Amino acid sequence: MKIEQLNKSKVPIIVLDKKLEQFRGKVLFPDKLKKANEILAKTGLPKIKS
Amino acid sequence: MKQAKYQYRSEDLFHYYEFISEGPKGLIKKIIEYTETSTENVYNLGFGDYDELTKGVNDLSITNNGDSLKVLATVASTVYAFTEKYPEAWIFATGSTAVRTRLYRMGITNNLAEISEDFLVFGYNREGNWVPFVTGEDYEAFLLTKKDNKFAI
Repeated sequence: MKIEQLNKSKVPIIVLDKKLEQFRGKVLFPDKLKKANEILAKTGLPKIKS
Repeated sequence: MKQAKYQYRSEDLFHYYEFISEGPKGLIKKIIEYTETSTENVYNLGFGDYDELTKGVNDLSITNNGDSLKVLATVASTVYAFTEKYPEAWIFATGSTAVRTRLYRMGITNNLAEISEDFLVFGYNREGNWVPFVTGEDYEAFLLTKKDNKFAI
């Protein structure tokens, strides 16, 4: 993939890499996840359909 | 996004992504993670530098590699990848610091027209409500989902 093609593409072309499976099941950003869960528990999701 | 971006790699579930930032500070490995939250179909977007020594990530490091727009565009690009795979997903994002959150806000603002073609974007305001993202307003966090998410409530 040429970089020009990559930059024009809205939906990206993904290169799969088995090595990244090492992260499966891990939470790499626990503080952010905690904050997300706190806000979602308090406020839920926005209502976008009536 | 029309902004230049790095090519990145993913495992086959599209929950973890890796790319290399290139700049005056050298080659710096970045990791992006989409983690399930306790709310169904909502995923937390995390992103930071990978530390080869500790085998961990740091979302507080200041890389100063002169490519913040390209990095942000790359992260945004993974949102397209992730929601292609999980079209019913909502994505929650906030910065690790107030400065980072403002950087995210700028990134959304600068690309709002294009993002809005495909996504609904909300900001979490000081009153503790999700409101449609408006340029110039301050938010603590962001939430987006594909416009055609048939499961959106």
